[in-house]
Amino acid sequence: MKQLEFIAGRLVKAVIVLLGIVVLAFLLIRATPGDPAAVLAGEAGAVDAEFMERVRAEFGLDRPIAEQLAIYVKQIATLQFGESYRQQRPVIDLIAERLPATLLLTMTAFCIALLVGVSLGVTAARHVGRWPDMAITVMALVFFAVPLFWIGLMAILLFAVKLPWLPAFGMETVGADLTGFGAILDTARHLVLPATTLGLFYIAIYVRMTRASVIEVMDLDFVRTARAKGIPEGRIWRRHILRNALLPIVTLASLQAGHLVGGAVLTETVFAWPGVGRLAFDALLQRDYNLLLAVFIVTSALVILFNLIADLVYAFVDPRIEVGA
Amino acid sequence: MIEVAGRLVRNAIGLAGLIFLALLIVLAIAAPIIYPGDPWRMVGSPQLPPLSPGFPLGTDALGRDVAAGVVHGARVSLLIGLVSSLCAVIIGTCLGAVSGYFGRWVDDLIMRFTEFFQTIPSFMLAIVLVAIFSPSIGSIVFAIAIVSWPPVARLVRAEFLSLRSRDFVKAAVVGGQSPLRIIFRQILPNAFSPIIVTGSLMVASAILLESALSFLGLGDREYVTWGFMIGAGRTMIRQAWWLSAFPGIAIFLTVLALNLFGQGLNDALNPRLARKGRA
Amino acid sequence: MWMKTVRTAVAAAAMGLLATGAMAQEQPKPGGTLNLIVQPEPPTVMLGINKLGPVSFVGGKIYEGLITLGLDLKPLPGLAKSWEISPDGLTYTFHLQQGVTWHDGKPFSADDVVFSFSEFLPKVFARTKAAMDRTESITAPDANTVVFKLKQPFPALMMVFDVTGGTIVPKHLYAGTDYQKNPANQTPVGTGPFKFKEWRKGAFIQLVKNENYWQKGKPHLDNIYFHIVPDANGRSIAFETGKVDVLRGGDVENFEVRRLGELPNVAITEKGWEFYDPIAFLNINNRNKPIDDVRFRRALAHAIDKNFVVNTIFSGFGKPVDGPFTYITPFNDPAVLTKYPYDPKKARALLDEMGLKPDASGTRAELRLMPLPYGETWQRYAEYVRERLVDIGIKVKMESVDVPGWVQRLTTGDFDISFNFVYLLGDPAMGITQTYISTNQLNRGTAANVDGYNNPEVDKLLQQADTSIDPAERKRLYAEVQKILSNDVPVLWTHQMGFPTLYRTKVRNLITTGLGMNETFADVWIDRK
Repeated sequence: MKQLEFIAGRLVKAVIVLLGIVVLAFLLIRATPGDPAAVLAGEAGAVDAEFMERVRAEFGLDRPIAEQLAIYVKQIATLQFGESYRQQRPVIDLIAERLPATLLLTMTAFCIALLVGVSLGVTAARHVGRWPDMAITVMALVFFAVPLFWIGLMAILLFAVKLPWLPAFGMETVGADLTGFGAILDTARHLVLPATTLGLFYIAIYVRMTRASVIEVMDLDFVRTARAKGIPEGRIWRRHILRNALLPIVTLASLQAGHLVGGAVLTETVFAWPGVGRLAFDALLQRDYNLLLAVFIVTSALVILFNLIADLVYAFVDPRIEVGA
Repeated sequence: MIEVAGRLVRNAIGLAGLIFLALLIVLAIAAPIIYPGDPWRMVGSPQLPPLSPGFPLGTDALGRDVAAGVVHGARVSLLIGLVSSLCAVIIGTCLGAVSGYFGRWVDDLIMRFTEFFQTIPSFMLAIVLVAIFSPSIGSIVFAIAIVSWPPVARLVRAEFLSLRSRDFVKAAVVGGQSPLRIIFRQILPNAFSPIIVTGSLMVASAILLESALSFLGLGDREYVTWGFMIGAGRTMIRQAWWLSAFPGIAIFLTVLALNLFGQGLNDALNPRLARKGRA
Repeated sequence: MWMKTVRTAVAAAAMGLLATGAMAQEQPKPGGTLNLIVQPEPPTVMLGINKLGPVSFVGGKIYEGLITLGLDLKPLPGLAKSWEISPDGLTYTFHLQQGVTWHDGKPFSADDVVFSFSEFLPKVFARTKAAMDRTESITAPDANTVVFKLKQPFPALMMVFDVTGGTIVPKHLYAGTDYQKNPANQTPVGTGPFKFKEWRKGAFIQLVKNENYWQKGKPHLDNIYFHIVPDANGRSIAFETGKVDVLRGGDVENFEVRRLGELPNVAITEKGWEFYDPIAFLNINNRNKPIDDVRFRRALAHAIDKNFVVNTIFSGFGKPVDGPFTYITPFNDPAVLTKYPYDPKKARALLDEMGLKPDASGTRAELRLMPLPYGETWQRYAEYVRERLVDIGIKVKMESVDVPGWVQRLTTGDFDISFNFVYLLGDPAMGITQTYISTNQLNRGTAANVDGYNNPEVDKLLQQADTSIDPAERKRLYAEVQKILSNDVPVLWTHQMGFPTLYRTKVRNLITTGLGMNETFADVWIDRK
C-alpha cells in the first residue's frame, strides 16, 4: 500500500515537473531570433510581406505569446503535439519514427558501458594497488577526458576509412534492401562504433564507481567474518561482496540512463545516426518550434520515467530502504 | 594549509596534472608572443601536412597555421572553462547553502528547482540557450553555467546539512549572529574542500561542453577554438586528418590534466579516503 | 596506285563498322535502377506546394511543366508540344501533348493547365504569382490548347513554365481544396515518367517507371532511389563504395569532388545549371555608413581576390565575374563593365581619399559580416573575406547565424555585409531585376534588393528592358544597366558558381537540358553489362 502511495506521489510530481518544462521550453524557444515564417520565406524564393503574414497567421504566430502558450498547454494535456512547420506532419509521428533509433543507440551504449565498466571496476578492485588496477584506472581517466565527438571522428577514420572493417555512418547500408536476420546484422554492424563511442565516457564513470564501491565493501566486517568462517573465496565474492557493492552501482547507473537519451545529439551528428537528438538539433536550426518542443518534452519524460523506475527497483531490491522516506 | 600542499605535491598524479596545467596556462598567456597576430591569417600554402617546414602541425584549407590555432585556442577554452565553472560554483553554492541551512520549505523549494534543472536534457538546454542569445563567449559561458550548477548545489547542501548541527554553528546561532554571517563566515569555510574539488573537475567538463558546442557550429565566430577546428576539419578528414586530430589531442590532454589535478587535490584534502583508494 | 584505293576502301569499311558499332552502343538499354542522393531530406515531394531544391529534384520526375529549357536556354517541349508567341508579345498559345494521363489514370487536359496557373500556383509560389499578375487572361479554347494573354509584353514569361515555376497539378484532386493540407500530397500524382512508390523516412524515396507515360518507349529506367544521407562524409563514402551512382552539385564539398573524380569510370560535368545560373556575391547594405559612399564599395571590391576564391576555396569550380550577369545569362556584356582587380593598395588609397584613416590599432572602420550557413566551403569563404578586409584596415565582426537567422537579418536589412547566392533563372527579367530595382527591397526574400540600392535610371532601364520584345533593344538596355551597376557597385559580385555533378560513366543522358538533374530523367539509361 505504501508503495502505491509512493508511486502516486512520484507520478504527480512528474506531471508538475513536466508542466514546468513545457512552459520553460516554450518561452525559451519562442525567444530565439527568427521564426518559421522567415525560414519558409527564404526557401520559397521571392516572397512579399503579404506571404509572410499569411504564413504567420497559418501557424498562429501572430497571436500574443500568452495565448499561444495557453493553447499549447491545453493541446499537450490532450496529447496533441501539433504539426511540424517544415514537414507538415504530426510531430508525434516524426518523433515516433526516430525515437527507436535513439533508444537502440543509447540502451546499447548503456549496456556496453555497464558491463564493461563494472567488470573492469571489479577487476581493478580485486587487484587494488597492483598493475591491473593502475592500468584500468589510467584507461578510465583517458576515457573520461576524451571528447566524444573527436574520438568518434578518429574512430571513423581508423575503422571505416583506413581499415574498412566497419560502416562509417548511418543505421543501415545505403541501397541495400535487407530483411530479417540480414537487416539485424547490418544494423548491429552500424551500431558498433556509435554505441561504443557514446559509452566510453560512462565506462569510465562505472569503472570508478564500481572500484570504489567494491573496495569499500571488501573491507567491511561481515566479509572478514565470512572468511574467518571458512567460506570459499568464490562464494564470498559472489554472495557477499558483489551483491552489496553492485546494487548501488546499478541503481545509480539507471539514473544516468535518462541522461544518455538527452545527450546523444553529438553521437548522432558524428555518425549520422537517425535519432531524435539530431532531429531536435535540425529542428532548432529550422526554427521548427513544435518539433523541438516535443522532443524536449518527450526526452524529459523519459528521464523522469527512468528515474522513477530506478527508484522503484532500488526500493524493491533493498528492503532496508523505506519507500516514501 | 601547508600540510595539504605538501600532500598534493607528493601525490604524483596530481602533480603531473598540475604541471601540465601550468604549462598550458603559460602557453595560453604567451600565445601572442609565440604566434603573434591573428591565428586566422593565411600564412602558408593550403593543406600542408604536419612536419612541413615552418608548420609543425600543418596548415588548413586556407593555408592557416594549425599550431597557431591550437595555441590561441587554448586561451579561449581555458577562459571559458574557468569563468563558466566559477559562475556555476557561485550559483550552486549560494543555492545549496541557503537550502541546507534553512531547511524545511526553503530546502524543499530549492531542491525541486534543482531537480527540475537536472531533469531537462542538459546538452539540449545548452544548445537552445546559446541559440537564443546568439553564439558568443558570453552566451556560451552563461549556458554552461546554467546547466552545470545543480551538482554543486546538491553537494553544498549535503555539506551544510551535516555541518549545521555541529556545535560551533549552534554556538554562533545562540551568540546572535545573522544567518548570512553564519553561512559565509562559519560554515562555508569548512565546506571549501569538496567545493574546490568539484570546481576543478567542472572546468574539465566545461571545456568539453564548450568544444562540443563549437563543434556543432554554435561557437563564437571571432575566435579560433579547439572545438571549432575539429568541426571545420571534419569534412576534410580524408584529405587532411591533422586538422581534426591535433585540436582533439589538445582537448584530451587538457581535460585529462584537469581530472588528474582534481583527483590529486581530492586525495590531498581527504587523506583518509585516499589511503582506502577511493576515487 | 590501287594499293591506295584498297587502303581507303578498308579504312572506309572499318569506319563504317565502327560507326554502326558506336551507334549500336548508344541504343538505350531498358531497365535498371538509378541510385541518387537527396539532401537534405525534403519535407514533401509534392512540387506544387513546395519549391525547395530537394523537392524540385525529386518532384521534377513525378511532375512536368509545359516546357523545359535546353542547355542553350531555348525552350524545349514538355507537356506542350509546340507554342506560338504573337508578334506583339502579348499572346502565348501552347498546344498540349495528347494521350497524357495522370498517374491515377485520369486524363490530362488544358483544364489542368488553366487551373494550375490561374488558381493553384499563384497561391503557393510568389514568383509564379508575380508572372501571372501580368496576365489579363488564361483560357483553354479547347482541350489541347491554352492561351495566356498578357497586359504588357514580358519576354521572360517562358522562364516561368519549367517544372518548378510551372508545375502542372491535377485539377480533379486539388480544385476547391486546401492545397497545403490536401491528403493527396502524401501520394503525389503527376504526369511524369516516374511515379511515387515509397518513402521510408530517413532512409530513401523510391520512384518507379510510369508504364503509361505519354512518351512511348520511355522512361528507360525501372526505378530511381533517392537515398537520404545527412552526413557529407557519408555521401562521399556512399559514392565511393558504389552505393550511389551520382552526386549532385552541392552533395559533397568541391574538394571532395576533385578527389572522387579520380576514381575509375567516374566523370565530372559542370553542365546542367544553365537555367538556374547561380551567381555568388556579397550583399553590402547601401543604407549604412560608410557603405553608402561609392568609394568605400569600390575599395571593398579591390580587396577580394576572386581568383583565389574560385581556385582555392571553391576548388576551381566556377568563374570569376565582374558584374551582375554571368557568362550564361543572356545579354551579358563584360566589355562595358568597370573592373576592380585585386589590389589592396588601391583599396587603402581609396579609403584614405575618403578620409577613413587608420587609427592607433590600424582600424579604419568596423563592419559586421554575415556568413552563409550552408557548409564548410562558405565558412572558409567568410573567413577569407574577413582576413582580406582586416588587411585593408576594416575590422570585421563575424556574426554567427543559422539559416533562419540569416534569412531574417538579410530580408529585414539588419546587416552590413552578407554572403549570398542567387539563381538567375534564364532571363534578366526573372533573376536580375529583383536585386537592383528600388521597389523590391525589404521583406521580399533573399534575392531582393536588400541592399537598398536606389537609382531611378536603373529602375527605368530595367522596367523598359524587361517588357521590350526587341532583343536588340534589350541588349542595349541591359548593357547600359551593367555599365551603371558595375560603376556603382551596389553589391560585390565574386563568381558564377560551378556545381559539379559527379557520375559513373555507365549512366547515360544524365544531363541533357539546362535543368540538369532536376529534369524528368525520361531519357536516362544505364549501360549495364
